[in-house]
Amino acid sequence: MSNSMTDWTIILRSLRARLFSTITTVVTVAVAVALMLVLLMMRDSGRRAFERGSGNMHLLVSADASPLVSILNGIFYANPPRRPIAWSKYQEIAAKFPLDFAVPTQLGDSYQGNPVLATTPEFFTKFQPVPKEPWKLASGKFFDTEWQVVLGARAAATTGLKLGDQIALTHGAGGSRDTGASKDAQPGPAPGHVHSEFKYTVVGILEPTGSAHDRALFTNLNSTWIIHAFDRRERAEHASDSSKDHDHADHDHDHDHDHDHDHKAHHEPPMTLADITDEDRKVTGLYLRLITREGSDSPANLPQIFDMLRRDPTITVAQPNQEITRLFSIVGNIDQILVGMAGVVMASSGIAIMLALYNSMEQRRRQIAVLRVLGASQTRIFGLVLTESALVGVLGAILGLVISLLGVRIVTAIMRDRLGLVIEPLLSPEVAMLVVVATIALGVLAGFIPALMAYRTPVAKNLKPLG
Amino acid sequence: MSTTLALHIRSLKFQYPGTADKQWTVNILDFKLAPAEQTLLTGGSGSGKSTLLQLVAGLLDIQQGSIEVAGVSLASLSRAKRDLHRGRTTGMIFQTFNLLHGFSACENVMAALMFSSIPPSQHRATALQLLAQLGIDKPDSDPDRLSVGQQQRVAVARAIACKPALILADEPTASLDPENAGGAMDLIQQTCRSIGAALLCVSHDPAMASRFERRISLRDLNAQATQEAAR
Repeated sequence: MSNSMTDWTIILRSLRARLFSTITTVVTVAVAVALMLVLLMMRDSGRRAFERGSGNMHLLVSADASPLVSILNGIFYANPPRRPIAWSKYQEIAAKFPLDFAVPTQLGDSYQGNPVLATTPEFFTKFQPVPKEPWKLASGKFFDTEWQVVLGARAAATTGLKLGDQIALTHGAGGSRDTGASKDAQPGPAPGHVHSEFKYTVVGILEPTGSAHDRALFTNLNSTWIIHAFDRRERAEHASDSSKDHDHADHDHDHDHDHDHDHKAHHEPPMTLADITDEDRKVTGLYLRLITREGSDSPANLPQIFDMLRRDPTITVAQPNQEITRLFSIVGNIDQILVGMAGVVMASSGIAIMLALYNSMEQRRRQIAVLRVLGASQTRIFGLVLTESALVGVLGAILGLVISLLGVRIVTAIMRDRLGLVIEPLLSPEVAMLVVVATIALGVLAGFIPALMAYRTPVAKNLKPLG
Repeated sequence: MSTTLALHIRSLKFQYPGTADKQWTVNILDFKLAPAEQTLLTGGSGSGKSTLLQLVAGLLDIQQGSIEVAGVSLASLSRAKRDLHRGRTTGMIFQTFNLLHGFSACENVMAALMFSSIPPSQHRATALQLLAQLGIDKPDSDPDRLSVGQQQRVAVARAIACKPALILADEPTASLDPENAGGAMDLIQQTCRSIGAALLCVSHDPAMASRFERRISLRDLNAQATQEAAR
C-alpha cells in the first residue's frame, strides 16, 4: 500500500480497470513491433548471410542453368547441381588461366539432410569462406585422405557427431529438402539410398563461419568418386541380374535392405582408388581465384577471364558478388515493400491505442471532472491521458521485442531448412532503440486526440447526477 | 482565526457567449463570506447558481469584476495556478458524491491530497486520520461497498482534506430522503465549523432555510447590482 496517490496510480488504475482492452491493445502493438523487428533483422542478416560464403573466390564455374542458380547451389547448397563438369574441363581451366586457386567441388550426397561437399584439401588451405577469415578448426584436423569427413559447425551441432564417429553418407539430398526435382534428373540408384558399404570417420569439426558452409560436411573427392564408381558398377550388374531372375520393381524394393551384405559378397574389397576411371571423376563446381596484387581484391584481368570462360558453352560462370548484388536488387524491393507493410501494421496498432482510449473517455469524464475539482489542471489531465497512451506503446514495444526475438528463431529455422540459408539474426541496438522510440512516439501520437478530449472535458456538466 | 475573508465577490458580471448584450447570468455587486461563516444561497433552476459556483471555484474565466478566495484574486492567477488554488482552498460537495470508481475510500481522500502542500509521505496517515474522525472504519474498501451515509462521509472527508477556507456545497441533499438529508447537513455544517471553513450552500430545498442564519437569494443579489447600476 503506497503512502500517496500519484499520476501513475491513476494511470495504472485506469489501465487495469479496462484490463481486456489494455491487453488486446498492448498485444496488437507488440505484434506490429515484432513484425517490424523481425523483418529488419532478417533484412540485415539476410544480406550478411548472402555476402558470406563466397568468401575470397572470384568466379564460380558450374554446369548449372544460370549463374544465379549456380551461386545458390554451389555456395548456399540450395539443391545439388544436376549436371556435372568433366574432370578434363577442370584440368583445362586450371592450366589455362593465371589462377591463385581452382578448387573443385562435388555436391550430391548428404548426411541427415546436411549437404556433403567433396573437394580437395585446397578448399581449406586456399579458399576462405569469408574474405580474410580462413577456416578454423574447433577440434580435430582437416581431411587428408579418403573416408574422412570434416563437419561444419552447424552440421556438427545438428547431427551431434563427434570426432571418431563413423558415418555412412546418403546418395542424393535426402532429408526434408526438395528431392522430388532431382529424382527424374538423376539416373541410377534411387535418390536417398545410403552408401552403407563405405564408412567415413569424423576427423574434424570447424568453427562457425556464419555462412551456408556451416551446414555442410566436407570430404575428399576420391571417396565420392569411389562410391559413385561402385554405384555405376552395381547398376551394370543389376541390369543383367534383373533380366535373368527377378523383375525390376522387386529389386528396387529390396535394394536398401540387401545392399550391405549382398555386395560385400560380390566384391571384396568393395572398391579402391585404382578402380575409378575418368568417367567417375566428375565435379559440380569450381571455386576460382585469380592472382591478385598484394592488398587488392579486384584483379584487372577479371572481366577478360570472365568473358573467356563465358564463351565456353559447356559451363556456366558466375561472379558471386555480382549475382548477390543482383539478387538483392530483386529481394531489396520486396523487403522494402514488406517493411512498408509492417509500418502500416504499426500505424494501425496506433489507431487501436487511440480507439481504446477514445472509448474509455466516455466513462472517464466524471473521473476527470472530479480530478479537476480536486485541483488538477487541464494540462495535467492532458498529460495523464497522453502518458497512459505512451505507456501502452512502451509495453507493446517491450512485448514486441520479446516476441521478435522468439519469432526470429522460428523464421531462421524455416529459412535454414527450406532455403539452406544460414542466417544469424542480429538486432543492432540502434535499430531496436529506433523501433522502440518510434513505438512510444506512436503511443503519444495516438493519445493526442483522447488527451485533447480529456483536456476539454467540461467539469460542472460531468459532476451532475446521471440521467 | 485569520481575518482574511473566505470569499469576496466584487462587481462580478458574467454572461455566456451568444446571449444578448447586457443579459448577465451573474451580476453581483458585493458579496462577502467571513471565515467559518455559513450561508445558504437559494434560487430556482436557471437562476445562475451553477454558473456562480463555477466562477467561485475558478472553473470559468472571470469576464468582469473580481473574486477573491482566501485573499487571492482568481483573475490574477493563470488557469493552472487557479486549479491548484481551488484544490488547496476550496472543497466541493455535490448532489452525487462523485467518488472515484476503482479507488478505495482512502485513495479518494489521498487524491485530494495530491494537490496539497502536505508531503506525500504523510498523505496516507492524514487520510486515514480524517476518515477515522468521520467514522469510516474500513478505509481501504471500495466506496461502492459502503452505505450511502458512509459514502457521504468519504465525500466530505475528501472535500476538507486540504483544510480549505471555503466549502461549496451544490444541492448536497437533493438526492437524499428528508431523514438522511438532515443527517448529511449536520455532518457538513459541523465539519465546516470544526475546521473553520466557510460554507456556501446552494439549495432550493425549503427545509434548509432553518439551518442557516444567513440566507440570500441569487435573484436578490443580482437585483441589488441592477438597482445600483440604475442609480
